[in-house]
Amino acid sequence: MTTTSILKATDAQEQRPAAWTRWLDLGDRPLALLLLAPATVLLALIIVYPVCRLAYTSFFNLSLTSGMPAEFVGLDNYRLMFDDPVFWETTWNTVLITLITVPGALVVGLALALMANLPFRTQWPVRLSLLIPWALPLSFAGLIFAWFFHSEYGIVNDVLIRLGFEGIIWFNSPGWAFAAICLTIIWKTSSFMALIILAGLQTIPRSLYEAADVDGAGRLRQFFEITLPLLKPSIVVALIFRTITALQTFDIPYMMTGGGPGTSTSTLAMYIHQNTVSFLDLGYGSALAVVMFALSMCVTTVYLRMIRTKE
Amino acid sequence: MSAVTASGPLSMLSGKPLRGFAAAALLINGLFPALWILFTSLKTEGELTAKPITWLPHAPTLQNYMQAFSDQPLHIFLLNSFVVALLSTMLTLLVSVLAAYALARLDLRYRGLILSAIIAVSTFPLVTLLVPLFEIMRALNLLNTWIALILPYTVLSLPVCTLMLVSFFEGIPRDLENAAMIDGCTRLGALFKVVVPLSAPGVFTAGILAFVNAWDEFLLALSFNSNPLLRTLPVGIQLYQGEFAFPWPVISAALVVGIVPVAILIVIFQERVVSGLTAGGIKG
Repeated sequence: MTTTSILKATDAQEQRPAAWTRWLDLGDRPLALLLLAPATVLLALIIVYPVCRLAYTSFFNLSLTSGMPAEFVGLDNYRLMFDDPVFWETTWNTVLITLITVPGALVVGLALALMANLPFRTQWPVRLSLLIPWALPLSFAGLIFAWFFHSEYGIVNDVLIRLGFEGIIWFNSPGWAFAAICLTIIWKTSSFMALIILAGLQTIPRSLYEAADVDGAGRLRQFFEITLPLLKPSIVVALIFRTITALQTFDIPYMMTGGGPGTSTSTLAMYIHQNTVSFLDLGYGSALAVVMFALSMCVTTVYLRMIRTKE
Repeated sequence: MSAVTASGPLSMLSGKPLRGFAAAALLINGLFPALWILFTSLKTEGELTAKPITWLPHAPTLQNYMQAFSDQPLHIFLLNSFVVALLSTMLTLLVSVLAAYALARLDLRYRGLILSAIIAVSTFPLVTLLVPLFEIMRALNLLNTWIALILPYTVLSLPVCTLMLVSFFEGIPRDLENAAMIDGCTRLGALFKVVVPLSAPGVFTAGILAFVNAWDEFLLALSFNSNPLLRTLPVGIQLYQGEFAFPWPVISAALVVGIVPVAILIVIFQERVVSGLTAGGIKG
Protein backbone atom coordinates (compact mmCIF):
# COMPACT_ATOMS: atom_id res chain seq x y z
CA MET A 1 0.00 0.00 0.00
CA THR A 2 1.29 3.44 -0.81
CA THR A 3 1.03 6.44 1.43
CA THR A 4 -1.63 8.10 -0.65
CA SER A 5 -3.88 5.08 -0.80
CA ILE A 6 -3.72 4.80 2.98
CA LEU A 7 -4.62 8.41 3.39
CA LYS A 8 -7.51 8.04 0.97
CA ALA A 9 -8.73 4.98 2.79
CA THR A 10 -8.62 6.71 6.13
CA ASP A 11 -10.29 9.76 4.55
CA ALA A 12 -13.20 7.68 3.46
CA GLN A 13 -13.64 5.64 6.60
CA GLU A 14 -12.54 7.98 9.29
CA GLN A 15 -14.67 11.08 9.02
CA ARG A 16 -15.69 10.45 12.59
CA PRO A 17 -14.12 8.10 15.09
CA ALA A 18 -15.98 4.87 15.54
CA ALA A 19 -18.04 4.80 18.68
CA TRP A 20 -15.98 2.06 20.31
CA THR A 21 -12.80 4.08 20.12
CA ARG A 22 -14.28 7.45 21.05
CA TRP A 23 -14.71 6.69 24.72
CA LEU A 24 -11.05 5.70 24.81
CA ASP A 25 -9.91 9.05 23.48
CA LEU A 26 -7.67 9.81 26.41
CA GLY A 27 -4.53 11.83 26.81
CA ASP A 28 -1.22 10.14 25.94
CA ARG A 29 -0.17 9.21 29.48
CA PRO A 30 -3.42 7.55 30.59
CA LEU A 31 -3.72 5.82 27.22
CA ALA A 32 -0.17 4.45 27.56
CA LEU A 33 -0.97 3.04 30.97
CA LEU A 34 -4.18 1.54 29.64
CA LEU A 35 -2.34 -0.11 26.73
CA LEU A 36 0.31 -1.55 29.04
CA ALA A 37 -2.29 -2.84 31.48
CA PRO A 38 -3.10 -6.22 29.85
CA ALA A 39 0.60 -7.13 29.60
CA THR A 40 1.19 -6.02 33.17
CA VAL A 41 -1.75 -8.04 34.49
CA LEU A 42 -0.58 -11.16 32.63
CA LEU A 43 3.00 -10.80 33.83
CA ALA A 44 1.85 -10.17 37.39
CA LEU A 45 -0.42 -13.20 37.31
CA ILE A 46 1.88 -15.68 35.59
CA ILE A 47 5.33 -14.49 36.68
CA VAL A 48 5.44 -12.05 39.60
CA TYR A 49 2.85 -13.71 41.85
CA PRO A 50 4.17 -17.25 41.18
CA VAL A 51 7.74 -16.15 41.92
CA CYS A 52 6.68 -14.70 45.28
CA ARG A 53 4.64 -17.82 45.92
CA LEU A 54 7.70 -19.93 45.04
CA ALA A 55 9.95 -18.17 47.54
CA TYR A 56 7.20 -18.38 50.19
CA THR A 57 6.43 -22.08 49.68
CA SER A 58 10.11 -22.98 49.87
CA PHE A 59 9.97 -22.21 53.62
CA PHE A 60 7.07 -24.60 54.16
CA ASN A 61 6.62 -28.30 54.46
CA LEU A 62 3.89 -28.66 51.86
CA SER A 63 3.31 -32.19 50.66
CA LEU A 64 0.03 -32.73 48.89
CA THR A 65 0.16 -36.50 49.43
CA SER A 66 0.17 -36.20 53.24
CA GLY A 67 -3.03 -34.16 53.28
CA MET A 68 -1.54 -32.07 56.10
CA PRO A 69 -1.81 -28.27 56.00
CA ALA A 70 1.34 -26.38 55.12
CA GLU A 71 3.70 -26.08 58.05
CA PHE A 72 6.36 -23.38 58.36
CA VAL A 73 9.76 -25.07 58.58
CA GLY A 74 12.14 -22.16 57.98
CA LEU A 75 15.24 -23.20 56.09
CA ASP A 76 14.65 -26.94 56.53
CA ASN A 77 14.02 -27.56 52.83
CA TYR A 78 17.30 -25.87 51.99
CA ARG A 79 19.15 -27.82 54.69
CA LEU A 80 17.64 -31.02 53.33
CA MET A 81 18.77 -30.03 49.86
CA PHE A 82 22.39 -29.56 50.83
CA ASP A 83 22.45 -33.06 52.32
CA ASP A 84 20.67 -34.57 49.33
CA PRO A 85 23.11 -36.39 47.02
CA VAL A 86 20.54 -36.42 44.19
CA PHE A 87 20.31 -32.61 44.34
CA TRP A 88 24.08 -32.35 43.96
CA GLU A 89 24.16 -34.97 41.21
CA THR A 90 21.38 -33.37 39.16
CA THR A 91 22.84 -29.88 39.65
CA TRP A 92 26.27 -31.10 38.59
CA ASN A 93 24.75 -32.80 35.53
CA THR A 94 22.97 -29.55 34.63
CA VAL A 95 26.16 -27.51 34.97
CA LEU A 96 28.10 -30.11 32.99
CA ILE A 97 25.50 -30.16 30.20
CA THR A 98 25.70 -26.35 30.08
CA LEU A 99 29.51 -26.33 30.02
CA ILE A 100 29.61 -28.93 27.24
CA THR A 101 26.68 -28.05 25.01
CA VAL A 102 26.92 -24.25 25.01
CA PRO A 103 30.49 -24.10 23.63
CA GLY A 104 29.70 -27.18 21.51
CA ALA A 105 26.69 -25.51 19.91
CA LEU A 106 28.74 -22.34 19.39
CA VAL A 107 31.51 -24.15 17.51
CA VAL A 108 29.11 -26.21 15.38
CA GLY A 109 26.85 -23.17 14.85
CA LEU A 110 29.81 -21.03 13.75
CA ALA A 111 30.86 -23.70 11.25
CA LEU A 112 27.29 -24.00 9.91
CA ALA A 113 26.98 -20.21 9.63
CA LEU A 114 30.29 -19.87 7.75
CA MET A 115 29.17 -22.59 5.33
CA ALA A 116 25.69 -21.07 4.92
CA ASN A 117 27.30 -17.70 4.13
CA LEU A 118 28.98 -19.07 1.00
CA PRO A 119 27.58 -17.60 -2.24
CA PHE A 120 24.99 -20.26 -3.11
CA ARG A 121 22.84 -19.62 -6.14
CA THR A 122 19.68 -20.79 -4.38
CA GLN A 123 19.32 -19.78 -0.77
CA TRP A 124 16.17 -21.54 0.36
CA PRO A 125 17.57 -25.07 0.92
CA VAL A 126 20.29 -23.61 3.14
CA ARG A 127 17.77 -21.56 5.09
CA LEU A 128 15.50 -24.55 5.53
CA SER A 129 18.33 -26.77 6.73
CA LEU A 130 18.92 -24.30 9.56
CA LEU A 131 15.24 -23.64 10.32
CA ILE A 132 13.95 -27.21 10.53
CA PRO A 133 16.12 -28.24 13.52
CA TRP A 134 15.17 -24.99 15.26
CA ALA A 135 11.43 -25.54 14.73
CA LEU A 136 11.50 -29.21 15.72
CA PRO A 137 10.21 -29.65 19.28
CA LEU A 138 12.99 -30.56 21.72
CA SER A 139 11.00 -33.58 22.82
CA PHE A 140 10.79 -34.81 19.20
CA ALA A 141 14.54 -34.34 18.81
CA GLY A 142 15.04 -36.45 21.95
CA LEU A 143 12.89 -39.27 20.56
CA ILE A 144 14.45 -39.13 17.10
CA PHE A 145 17.97 -39.32 18.52
CA ALA A 146 17.02 -42.05 20.99
CA TRP A 147 16.15 -44.03 17.85
CA PHE A 148 19.46 -42.99 16.21
CA PHE A 149 21.39 -44.29 19.21
CA HIS A 150 19.33 -47.49 19.55
CA SER A 151 21.81 -50.27 20.36
CA GLU A 152 20.39 -52.82 17.90
CA TYR A 153 18.65 -50.98 15.09
CA GLY A 154 20.06 -47.48 15.45
CA ILE A 155 21.85 -45.84 12.57
CA VAL A 156 24.74 -44.64 14.72
CA ASN A 157 25.79 -48.16 15.64
CA ASP A 158 25.15 -49.25 12.06
CA VAL A 159 27.65 -46.69 10.82
CA LEU A 160 30.13 -47.53 13.59
CA ILE A 161 30.01 -51.22 12.66
CA ARG A 162 30.37 -50.45 8.95
CA LEU A 163 33.46 -48.41 9.81
CA GLY A 164 34.90 -51.41 11.66
CA PHE A 165 34.18 -50.35 15.24
CA GLU A 166 32.06 -52.16 17.76
CA GLY A 167 28.50 -51.05 18.41
CA ILE A 168 27.92 -49.22 21.69
CA ILE A 169 25.06 -49.91 24.07
CA TRP A 170 24.48 -46.18 24.55
CA PHE A 171 21.86 -46.07 27.25
CA ASN A 172 23.27 -48.71 29.60
CA SER A 173 26.28 -46.75 30.81
CA PRO A 174 26.13 -43.30 32.40
CA GLY A 175 29.04 -42.02 30.32
CA TRP A 176 27.73 -43.02 26.90
CA ALA A 177 24.18 -41.99 27.78
CA PHE A 178 25.47 -38.57 28.83
CA ALA A 179 27.46 -38.28 25.59
CA ALA A 180 24.40 -39.18 23.49
CA ILE A 181 22.35 -36.55 25.29
CA CYS A 182 24.99 -33.85 24.82
CA LEU A 183 25.37 -34.66 21.12
CA THR A 184 21.61 -34.40 20.66
CA ILE A 185 21.42 -31.07 22.48
CA ILE A 186 24.30 -29.70 20.42
CA TRP A 187 22.61 -30.78 17.19
CA LYS A 188 19.28 -29.29 18.21
CA THR A 189 20.61 -25.93 19.39
CA SER A 190 23.45 -25.24 16.95
CA SER A 191 21.07 -24.25 14.16
CA PHE A 192 19.70 -21.36 16.18
CA MET A 193 23.28 -20.25 16.92
CA ALA A 194 24.04 -20.50 13.21
CA LEU A 195 21.05 -18.33 12.27
CA ILE A 196 22.08 -15.59 14.71
CA ILE A 197 25.73 -15.74 13.65
CA LEU A 198 24.75 -15.80 9.96
CA ALA A 199 22.78 -12.59 10.44
CA GLY A 200 25.90 -11.09 12.03
CA LEU A 201 28.12 -12.28 9.18
CA GLN A 202 25.89 -10.63 6.61
CA THR A 203 26.34 -7.23 8.23
CA ILE A 204 30.14 -7.29 7.87
CA PRO A 205 31.00 -5.01 4.94
CA ARG A 206 32.85 -6.72 2.10
CA SER A 207 35.16 -3.76 1.79
CA LEU A 208 36.92 -4.81 5.00
CA TYR A 209 37.98 -8.09 3.41
CA GLU A 210 38.96 -6.35 0.19
CA ALA A 211 41.17 -3.96 2.13
CA ALA A 212 42.70 -6.88 4.00
CA ASP A 213 43.36 -8.60 0.67
CA VAL A 214 45.18 -5.53 -0.57
CA ASP A 215 47.25 -5.54 2.62
CA GLY A 216 48.09 -9.16 1.96
CA ALA A 217 46.43 -10.61 5.06
CA GLY A 218 45.71 -14.33 4.73
CA ARG A 219 42.29 -15.90 5.07
CA LEU A 220 42.99 -17.24 8.55
CA ARG A 221 44.18 -13.87 9.77
CA GLN A 222 41.13 -12.18 8.26
CA PHE A 223 38.92 -14.65 10.14
CA PHE A 224 40.53 -13.93 13.49
CA GLU A 225 41.00 -10.19 13.03
CA ILE A 226 37.89 -9.15 11.12
CA THR A 227 35.20 -11.80 11.27
CA LEU A 228 35.39 -12.94 14.89
CA PRO A 229 35.69 -9.47 16.50
CA LEU A 230 32.79 -8.11 14.43
CA LEU A 231 30.69 -11.16 15.24
CA LYS A 232 31.22 -10.75 18.95
CA PRO A 233 27.96 -8.90 19.72
CA SER A 234 25.73 -11.44 17.97
CA ILE A 235 27.69 -14.33 19.48
CA VAL A 236 27.31 -12.91 23.00
CA VAL A 237 23.52 -12.56 22.67
CA ALA A 238 23.19 -16.09 21.30
CA LEU A 239 25.44 -17.47 24.07
CA ILE A 240 23.42 -15.91 26.86
CA PHE A 241 20.09 -17.19 25.58
CA ARG A 242 21.61 -20.61 25.02
CA THR A 243 23.11 -20.68 28.54
CA ILE A 244 19.79 -19.84 30.15
CA THR A 245 17.96 -22.52 28.19
CA ALA A 246 20.76 -25.04 28.87
CA LEU A 247 20.30 -24.53 32.62
CA GLN A 248 16.67 -25.56 32.12
CA THR A 249 17.48 -28.73 30.15
CA PHE A 250 14.57 -31.13 30.52
CA ASP A 251 12.95 -32.44 27.32
CA ILE A 252 15.87 -34.20 25.67
CA PRO A 253 17.21 -36.25 28.63
CA TYR A 254 13.62 -36.95 29.73
CA MET A 255 12.83 -38.43 26.34
CA MET A 256 16.17 -40.19 25.74
CA THR A 257 17.01 -41.77 29.09
CA GLY A 258 14.38 -40.65 31.59
CA GLY A 259 17.37 -39.65 33.72
CA GLY A 260 18.87 -43.12 33.80
CA PRO A 261 20.69 -45.32 34.30
CA GLY A 262 19.79 -44.52 37.90
CA THR A 263 19.85 -40.74 38.17
CA SER A 264 23.13 -40.43 36.29
CA THR A 265 21.71 -38.32 33.45
CA SER A 266 19.01 -36.54 35.43
CA THR A 267 18.99 -32.73 35.41
CA LEU A 268 17.90 -30.21 38.02
CA ALA A 269 14.77 -29.44 35.98
CA MET A 270 13.91 -33.14 35.93
CA TYR A 271 14.38 -33.35 39.69
CA ILE A 272 12.12 -30.32 40.22
CA HIS A 273 9.49 -31.90 37.97
CA GLN A 274 9.76 -35.22 39.81
CA ASN A 275 9.39 -33.67 43.27
CA THR A 276 6.50 -31.47 42.19
CA VAL A 277 4.39 -33.60 39.88
CA SER A 278 5.26 -37.16 40.95
CA PHE A 279 5.92 -36.75 44.69
CA LEU A 280 3.66 -33.66 45.10
CA ASP A 281 6.29 -32.35 47.53
CA LEU A 282 5.80 -28.67 46.70
CA GLY A 283 7.94 -27.31 49.54
CA TYR A 284 11.05 -29.17 48.48
CA GLY A 285 10.31 -28.61 44.79
CA SER A 286 10.11 -24.88 45.48
CA ALA A 287 13.46 -24.83 47.26
CA LEU A 288 15.04 -26.60 44.27
CA ALA A 289 13.43 -24.12 41.88
CA VAL A 290 14.77 -21.19 43.92
CA VAL A 291 18.28 -22.51 43.29
CA MET A 292 17.64 -22.69 39.55
CA PHE A 293 16.12 -19.20 39.62
CA ALA A 294 19.28 -17.88 41.32
CA LEU A 295 21.50 -19.60 38.76
CA SER A 296 19.73 -18.09 35.78
CA MET A 297 19.36 -14.66 37.39
CA CYS A 298 23.16 -14.49 37.53
CA VAL A 299 23.30 -15.02 33.77
CA THR A 300 20.50 -12.51 33.11
CA THR A 301 22.23 -9.87 35.22
CA VAL A 302 25.37 -10.22 33.14
CA TYR A 303 23.24 -9.91 30.00
CA LEU A 304 21.43 -6.75 31.13
CA ARG A 305 24.70 -5.15 32.17
CA MET A 306 26.16 -5.80 28.75
CA ILE A 307 23.17 -4.31 26.97
CA ARG A 308 23.41 -1.19 29.14
CA THR A 309 27.11 -0.71 28.42
CA LYS A 310 26.43 -1.18 24.69
CA GLU A 311 23.96 1.66 24.73
CA MET B 1 28.00 -17.59 -11.37
CA SER B 2 29.34 -14.09 -11.87
CA ALA B 3 26.13 -12.58 -10.57
CA VAL B 4 26.70 -13.89 -7.06
CA THR B 5 29.13 -11.93 -5.01
CA ALA B 6 31.37 -13.62 -2.55
CA SER B 7 31.81 -12.31 0.95
CA GLY B 8 33.15 -13.64 4.17
CA PRO B 9 36.33 -15.35 5.17
CA LEU B 10 35.78 -18.53 3.22
CA SER B 11 34.97 -16.76 -0.02
CA MET B 12 38.44 -17.06 -1.55
CA LEU B 13 38.22 -20.81 -1.19
CA SER B 14 34.71 -20.96 -2.47
CA GLY B 15 35.34 -22.94 -5.56
CA LYS B 16 32.66 -25.34 -6.67
CA PRO B 17 34.00 -28.28 -4.58
CA LEU B 18 33.89 -26.32 -1.33
CA ARG B 19 30.39 -25.08 -2.04
CA GLY B 20 29.31 -28.60 -2.84
CA PHE B 21 30.77 -29.92 0.39
CA ALA B 22 29.19 -27.13 2.42
CA ALA B 23 25.79 -27.65 0.83
CA ALA B 24 25.94 -31.39 1.53
CA ALA B 25 27.01 -30.85 5.14
CA LEU B 26 24.27 -28.28 5.78
CA LEU B 27 21.51 -30.37 4.21
CA ILE B 28 22.53 -33.61 5.91
CA ASN B 29 22.84 -31.90 9.28
CA GLY B 30 19.53 -30.10 8.96
CA LEU B 31 17.27 -32.53 7.18
CA PHE B 32 18.64 -36.04 7.73
CA PRO B 33 17.09 -36.67 11.17
CA ALA B 34 13.61 -35.72 9.98
CA LEU B 35 14.13 -37.70 6.77
CA TRP B 36 15.28 -40.75 8.73
CA ILE B 37 12.13 -40.65 10.83
CA LEU B 38 10.09 -40.43 7.61
CA PHE B 39 11.88 -43.54 6.27
CA THR B 40 11.34 -45.38 9.57
CA SER B 41 7.65 -44.53 9.53
CA LEU B 42 7.29 -46.19 6.11
CA LYS B 43 8.93 -49.47 7.13
CA THR B 44 7.22 -52.58 8.42
CA GLU B 45 8.08 -53.93 11.87
CA GLY B 46 9.71 -56.88 10.10
CA GLU B 47 11.97 -54.71 7.98
CA LEU B 48 12.89 -52.62 10.99
CA THR B 49 14.23 -55.58 12.95
CA ALA B 50 16.10 -57.05 9.99
CA LYS B 51 19.87 -57.14 10.20
CA PRO B 52 21.81 -55.38 8.80
CA ILE B 53 19.44 -52.43 8.99
CA THR B 54 18.10 -51.07 5.72
CA TRP B 55 18.28 -47.37 4.91
CA LEU B 56 15.56 -46.78 2.35
CA PRO B 57 12.28 -48.61 3.01
CA HIS B 58 12.06 -51.68 0.72
CA ALA B 59 8.28 -51.98 0.70
CA PRO B 60 6.91 -48.58 1.82
CA THR B 61 3.64 -48.86 3.73
CA LEU B 62 1.21 -46.41 5.29
CA GLN B 63 0.12 -49.02 7.83
CA ASN B 64 2.03 -47.26 10.63
CA TYR B 65 0.11 -44.03 10.05
CA MET B 66 -3.22 -45.80 10.32
CA GLN B 67 -2.04 -47.51 13.46
CA ALA B 68 -0.79 -44.22 14.92
CA PHE B 69 -4.31 -42.82 14.64
CA SER B 70 -6.05 -45.98 15.89
CA ASP B 71 -3.72 -46.90 18.80
CA GLN B 72 -4.00 -43.48 20.43
CA PRO B 73 -6.29 -40.48 19.82
CA LEU B 74 -3.66 -38.74 17.69
CA HIS B 75 -6.27 -36.45 16.14
CA ILE B 76 -7.19 -35.25 19.66
CA PHE B 77 -3.52 -34.54 20.44
CA LEU B 78 -3.33 -32.56 17.20
CA LEU B 79 -6.49 -30.67 18.03
CA ASN B 80 -5.24 -29.82 21.54
CA SER B 81 -1.91 -28.62 20.17
CA PHE B 82 -3.64 -26.50 17.52
CA VAL B 83 -6.16 -24.92 19.87
CA VAL B 84 -3.60 -24.15 22.57
CA ALA B 85 -1.02 -22.80 20.10
CA LEU B 86 -3.52 -20.78 18.10
CA LEU B 87 -5.36 -19.19 21.04
CA SER B 88 -2.15 -18.37 22.91
CA THR B 89 -0.71 -16.85 19.71
CA MET B 90 -3.74 -14.63 19.24
CA LEU B 91 -3.71 -13.54 22.85
CA THR B 92 0.04 -12.86 22.69
CA LEU B 93 -0.40 -10.73 19.57
CA LEU B 94 -3.27 -8.70 20.98
CA VAL B 95 -1.50 -7.95 24.27
CA SER B 96 1.89 -7.27 22.70
CA VAL B 97 0.50 -4.98 19.97
CA LEU B 98 -1.06 -2.77 22.65
CA ALA B 99 2.06 -2.75 24.83
CA ALA B 100 4.41 -2.24 21.91
CA TYR B 101 2.41 0.74 20.68
CA ALA B 102 2.59 2.41 24.07
CA LEU B 103 6.34 1.80 24.17
CA ALA B 104 7.00 2.89 20.61
CA ARG B 105 4.80 5.96 20.36
CA LEU B 106 3.48 7.33 23.59
CA ASP B 107 5.38 9.50 25.98
CA LEU B 108 6.30 7.17 28.83
CA ARG B 109 8.26 8.20 31.88
CA TYR B 110 10.10 4.95 32.59
CA ARG B 111 10.41 3.67 29.03
CA GLY B 112 14.02 2.49 29.41
CA LEU B 113 13.26 0.73 32.65
CA ILE B 114 10.21 -1.01 31.19
CA LEU B 115 12.19 -2.19 28.17
CA SER B 116 14.91 -3.58 30.45
CA ALA B 117 12.27 -5.36 32.50
CA ILE B 118 10.84 -6.93 29.35
CA ILE B 119 14.30 -8.15 28.31
CA ALA B 120 14.81 -9.60 31.79
CA VAL B 121 11.47 -11.40 31.60
CA SER B 122 12.37 -12.80 28.16
CA THR B 123 15.20 -14.75 29.80
CA PHE B 124 13.00 -16.00 32.60
CA PRO B 125 13.45 -19.73 33.38
CA LEU B 126 10.00 -21.20 32.85
CA VAL B 127 10.98 -24.35 34.75
CA THR B 128 11.05 -22.48 38.06
CA LEU B 129 7.41 -21.50 37.56
CA LEU B 130 6.43 -25.15 37.34
CA VAL B 131 5.94 -25.50 41.10
CA PRO B 132 3.89 -22.36 41.85
CA LEU B 133 1.88 -22.57 38.61
CA PHE B 134 1.11 -26.21 39.35
CA GLU B 135 -0.03 -25.16 42.82
CA ILE B 136 -2.16 -22.30 41.45
CA MET B 137 -3.71 -24.27 38.59
CA ARG B 138 -4.49 -27.10 41.01
CA ALA B 139 -6.12 -24.71 43.49
CA LEU B 140 -8.19 -23.11 40.71
CA ASN B 141 -9.16 -26.53 39.33
CA LEU B 142 -7.53 -25.64 36.02
CA LEU B 143 -5.35 -28.73 35.68
CA ASN B 144 -6.39 -30.68 32.57
CA THR B 145 -7.79 -27.67 30.75
CA TRP B 146 -6.60 -25.70 27.72
CA ILE B 147 -6.44 -22.52 29.80
CA ALA B 148 -3.74 -24.01 32.05
CA LEU B 149 -1.44 -23.97 29.01
CA ILE B 150 -2.74 -20.98 27.05
CA LEU B 151 -1.94 -18.45 29.81
CA PRO B 152 1.69 -19.53 30.45
CA TYR B 153 2.38 -19.88 26.70
CA THR B 154 1.11 -16.35 26.14
CA VAL B 155 3.52 -15.04 28.73
CA LEU B 156 6.31 -17.20 27.29
CA SER B 157 6.19 -15.37 23.94
CA LEU B 158 4.99 -11.98 25.16
CA PRO B 159 8.38 -10.32 25.84
CA VAL B 160 9.97 -11.32 22.55
CA CYS B 161 6.91 -10.40 20.48
CA THR B 162 6.63 -7.04 22.24
CA LEU B 163 10.28 -6.18 21.60
CA MET B 164 9.92 -7.17 17.95
CA LEU B 165 6.78 -5.10 17.47
CA VAL B 166 8.31 -2.06 19.18
CA SER B 167 11.05 -1.99 16.57
CA PHE B 168 8.51 -2.52 13.77
CA PHE B 169 6.23 0.27 14.97
CA GLU B 170 9.15 2.64 15.30
CA GLY B 171 9.84 2.12 11.60
CA ILE B 172 6.42 3.44 10.59
CA PRO B 173 6.29 7.19 9.85
CA ARG B 174 4.33 9.14 12.45
CA ASP B 175 2.87 11.32 9.69
CA LEU B 176 0.53 8.55 8.61
CA GLU B 177 -1.02 8.27 12.06
CA ASN B 178 -1.16 12.02 12.46
CA ALA B 179 -2.99 12.30 9.16
CA ALA B 180 -5.50 9.71 10.30
CA MET B 181 -5.98 11.55 13.57
CA ILE B 182 -6.50 14.86 11.83
CA ASP B 183 -9.22 13.08 9.87
CA GLY B 184 -10.91 12.39 13.18
CA CYS B 185 -9.48 9.04 14.09
CA THR B 186 -8.62 8.44 17.74
CA ARG B 187 -5.16 7.19 18.65
CA LEU B 188 -6.48 3.71 19.23
CA GLY B 189 -8.32 3.87 15.91
CA ALA B 190 -5.10 4.94 14.22
CA LEU B 191 -3.28 2.02 15.84
CA PHE B 192 -5.66 -0.57 14.44
CA LYS B 193 -6.46 1.11 11.12
CA VAL B 194 -3.00 2.43 10.19
CA VAL B 195 -0.15 1.09 12.29
CA VAL B 196 -1.12 -2.57 12.57
CA PRO B 197 -1.98 -3.03 8.87
CA LEU B 198 1.27 -1.33 7.89
CA SER B 199 3.32 -3.57 10.16
CA ALA B 200 1.44 -6.71 9.12
CA PRO B 201 4.68 -8.53 8.20
CA GLY B 202 6.07 -7.89 11.67
CA VAL B 203 2.86 -8.89 13.43
CA PHE B 204 2.72 -12.01 11.31
CA THR B 205 6.33 -12.97 12.07
CA ALA B 206 5.77 -12.48 15.76
CA GLY B 207 2.72 -14.70 15.43
CA ILE B 208 4.67 -17.52 13.79
CA LEU B 209 7.31 -17.43 16.53
CA ALA B 210 4.66 -17.51 19.24
CA PHE B 211 2.93 -20.41 17.50
CA VAL B 212 6.13 -22.47 17.21
CA ASN B 213 7.01 -21.75 20.85
CA ALA B 214 3.62 -23.02 22.00
CA TRP B 215 3.62 -25.99 19.61
CA ASP B 216 7.00 -27.15 20.95
CA GLU B 217 6.51 -26.67 24.70
CA PHE B 218 6.74 -29.88 26.68
CA LEU B 219 7.34 -29.51 30.43
CA LEU B 220 4.21 -27.58 31.40
CA ALA B 221 2.03 -29.60 29.05
CA LEU B 222 3.42 -32.77 30.60
CA SER B 223 2.89 -31.53 34.15
CA PHE B 224 -0.49 -29.82 33.91
CA ASN B 225 -2.49 -31.97 31.49
CA SER B 226 -2.18 -35.67 32.29
CA ASN B 227 -5.63 -36.61 31.02
CA PRO B 228 -5.01 -38.38 27.67
CA LEU B 229 -7.79 -36.39 26.02
CA LEU B 230 -6.15 -33.07 26.92
CA ARG B 231 -2.56 -33.91 26.04
CA THR B 232 -0.78 -31.92 23.41
CA LEU B 233 1.19 -33.70 20.71
CA PRO B 234 4.66 -33.79 22.33
CA VAL B 235 3.17 -35.24 25.52
CA GLY B 236 0.70 -37.55 23.80
CA ILE B 237 3.42 -39.21 21.75
CA GLN B 238 4.75 -40.81 24.93
CA LEU B 239 1.59 -42.89 25.25
CA TYR B 240 2.66 -45.11 22.35
CA GLN B 241 5.38 -46.71 24.44
CA GLY B 242 4.26 -49.78 26.30
CA GLU B 243 6.04 -50.98 29.39
CA PHE B 244 8.42 -53.13 27.37
CA ALA B 245 7.43 -52.49 23.79
CA PHE B 246 8.64 -49.45 21.93
CA PRO B 247 6.82 -49.47 18.58
CA TRP B 248 9.30 -47.30 16.69
CA PRO B 249 7.55 -47.34 13.27
CA VAL B 250 4.27 -46.16 14.82
CA ILE B 251 6.03 -43.55 16.97
CA SER B 252 7.86 -42.35 13.87
CA ALA B 253 4.58 -41.98 12.00
CA ALA B 254 3.14 -39.92 14.87
CA LEU B 255 6.30 -37.77 14.89
CA VAL B 256 5.97 -37.12 11.16
CA VAL B 257 2.34 -36.08 11.68
CA GLY B 258 3.56 -33.66 14.37
CA ILE B 259 6.39 -32.25 12.29
CA VAL B 260 4.41 -31.60 9.10
CA PRO B 261 2.27 -28.62 10.25
CA VAL B 262 5.23 -26.64 11.55
CA ALA B 263 7.38 -27.68 8.60
CA ILE B 264 4.74 -26.27 6.24
CA LEU B 265 4.71 -22.96 8.14
CA ILE B 266 8.50 -22.83 8.01
CA VAL B 267 8.74 -23.67 4.32
CA ILE B 268 6.20 -21.01 3.32
CA PHE B 269 7.42 -18.23 5.60
CA GLN B 270 11.12 -19.05 5.90
CA GLU B 271 12.44 -15.60 5.07
CA ARG B 272 10.19 -13.88 7.56
CA VAL B 273 11.01 -16.37 10.28
CA VAL B 274 14.73 -15.85 9.78
CA SER B 275 14.40 -12.08 9.91
CA GLY B 276 12.19 -12.30 12.98
CA LEU B 277 14.51 -14.68 14.79
CA THR B 278 17.57 -12.60 14.18
CA ALA B 279 15.96 -9.23 14.89
CA GLY B 280 16.18 -9.80 18.62
CA GLY B 281 17.61 -12.66 20.58
CA ILE B 282 15.01 -15.37 20.95
CA LYS B 283 14.99 -18.57 22.92
CA GLY B 284 16.51 -21.40 20.96
